[in-house]
Amino acid sequence: MTRNGDLVAGIALLIFGIAWTVTVYLTVPTGYGVGPRVFPLWLGIALSALSLLLLFNSFKPEASIDENTNAESSDSGKAPSLWLQFRTLVTVCGTIAVYGYLMQAIGFVPSTVLVVAFTLFVTLKERRPLVLLGMSFGLAFGAWFAFGKILGAYMPPGTLISIF
Amino acid sequence: MDLLLSAAQVALSPAALLAVVLGCLLGVVFGAIPGLTFTVAMALVVPMSFSLDTAPAIGLLLGTYIGGMTGGSVSAILLGIPGTPSAAATVLDGYALTRRGKASLALGTAVVASAFGGLVSLVVMVVSVDLVARIAMQFGPAETFGLLIFGLSTICGLSQKSLTKGLIAGVLGLLIMTIGIDEMEGVQRLTFGTIVMQQGISLLVAMIALFAVPHVIDAFVQYYSNKKQLNASADVRAELPSLKDLGRDFWLMLRCAILGTGIGAIPGTGGPIAAFLAYAHAQKSSKTPEKFGKGEMAGVVAPETANNAVTGGAMIPLLSLGIPGDPATAILLSGLLIHGLIPGPMLFIQNPGEIYQIYLAIIVAYIAVVFIQLLGIRFFVQLLRVPAHLLAVGIVIMCGYGAFAIRNSVFDVVSVAILGALSYGLARVGIPLTPIILGLVLGPSIEREFRTAMILSDNNLDIFYTSIPAAFFIGLSILIVGLQVVRSMRGPFKSSMTETESDASVQPK
Repeated sequence: MTRNGDLVAGIALLIFGIAWTVTVYLTVPTGYGVGPRVFPLWLGIALSALSLLLLFNSFKPEASIDENTNAESSDSGKAPSLWLQFRTLVTVCGTIAVYGYLMQAIGFVPSTVLVVAFTLFVTLKERRPLVLLGMSFGLAFGAWFAFGKILGAYMPPGTLISIF
Repeated sequence: MDLLLSAAQVALSPAALLAVVLGCLLGVVFGAIPGLTFTVAMALVVPMSFSLDTAPAIGLLLGTYIGGMTGGSVSAILLGIPGTPSAAATVLDGYALTRRGKASLALGTAVVASAFGGLVSLVVMVVSVDLVARIAMQFGPAETFGLLIFGLSTICGLSQKSLTKGLIAGVLGLLIMTIGIDEMEGVQRLTFGTIVMQQGISLLVAMIALFAVPHVIDAFVQYYSNKKQLNASADVRAELPSLKDLGRDFWLMLRCAILGTGIGAIPGTGGPIAAFLAYAHAQKSSKTPEKFGKGEMAGVVAPETANNAVTGGAMIPLLSLGIPGDPATAILLSGLLIHGLIPGPMLFIQNPGEIYQIYLAIIVAYIAVVFIQLLGIRFFVQLLRVPAHLLAVGIVIMCGYGAFAIRNSVFDVVSVAILGALSYGLARVGIPLTPIILGLVLGPSIEREFRTAMILSDNNLDIFYTSIPAAFFIGLSILIVGLQVVRSMRGPFKSSMTETESDASVQPK
């Protein structure tokens, strides 16, 4: 953990904490006694105060803290770049979100085949046909059988097309 | 007795047995693969248990928990990498035994020690859990509030390197759970007028996002960074230790089982600390301490017994007080809640049959784990060869479907994606994820009990210090937090407890 990381986290959480506190104050009624406003309001204030503390600590000299973390980083070799992490985060979370919409639209099996194939081919640059086909269809039908048939869970059939 | 027999009929039905075995298998697989912790498995399994009856659902969850705790030893012994943080102490002698060509015996001994530790802790749990629940039954809202605050103070133990960050995480968890309709006055809080937000953030959505999504992102990042994967030798089987060997280690196993149960019963501790304490105890009490670290079998027996004994210990506060001690029991708690079982003193009055089902499921799970590990070790070795990024693709699917299955809602899937991204960001800046879960789980109860106590006392705070149990628990919590504050002011904060299962895969950089 770098000092810059603490600084960014402190600022982001402070903004969030203040926004939360103001929103609660403006939108949640006080109620009777310890009403519905008290807990979220005081939690917002607590978050803001702790974020300020984090922000304050981020200005302390680097050597005073997290020596262990630095050691871990050096042990594990070169740390992945921030851009790589951000790109992967967007890809993975985007894929999950799109998977939700696809599942509803075209059903579990087709959407799973598409999402697995996309993740392997585009995200992981997998080019072996056996792996691509095997994993896409294997995961889709394997999950469909395990969850739908064995566990009896609801498998979305699809609103636009319905194959299974 | 009738209750036990009828519970046995349900808990030992084919469906329940199959669920326990399936859970154990999943747990062992997730526990065995480094980075793929069984906490992730449990977060993914809970939504899958929706369609099951209560007994199979309990079996599936407990099987995953117990299987995962034992599975960590496989990669610890074969690769020298603990599958779970609980198995970290096993590496010291387990991997040394593998290098000496005794991997099969080490694996077999680890399985037997795990089952022994788990079953001894179950006996202790059965004896003590009812007693603790009887005491807790006398508690009113003020005392329960004190108890819950004490449970929340374990955040200090889960804070890893920075107390401030641990507290931030805990507050975030508490804060998220205030979204939705206030259960006491029916007022909307931070819903922004939307219907989907009225139900609040689903605990399961949060758990999948916190545990599984960061793991997937991390696996892909490691793949892009071209990190090499260690491969285990395929020529391995699990070889049971002889009766003579077991007899020699019996007292050590018993001592470590009791130690593990005691540690597990303290919220915020967990498997890693129990395993290392047991390892240190075994070394101290050995006639040949110099052999430890070079391939001493007692160095595998002690930590494996202790870390599995933690399962029974952790169930004591969970079942009797409704306080989860670690991320895995927090997920277990949410799973039980979904199936209508509310852990706490009243559970023993309202659901005595289900209590027996839980006990039986634990026994079955430990027996199943022994057979699964003995028979399936070659399969697990092959699984250790599957690249982590390909396994992560499967987890993406489970994340998406698991979230969808909660309420058949795309909103939950999108929530997983958004919260998952935020979780990864928090983990990267060193904010631990486990206290968030503790806040999520305990938050609603803390608010409800506090407000009820205040209504009873006509808005007078006296109620919290005139009641001896309430004052005791609140005082204890203040003491714990105060001591940690003093420690962190003296020097770099180091968690006295454990690196948790959930946060192990995503380390701050």
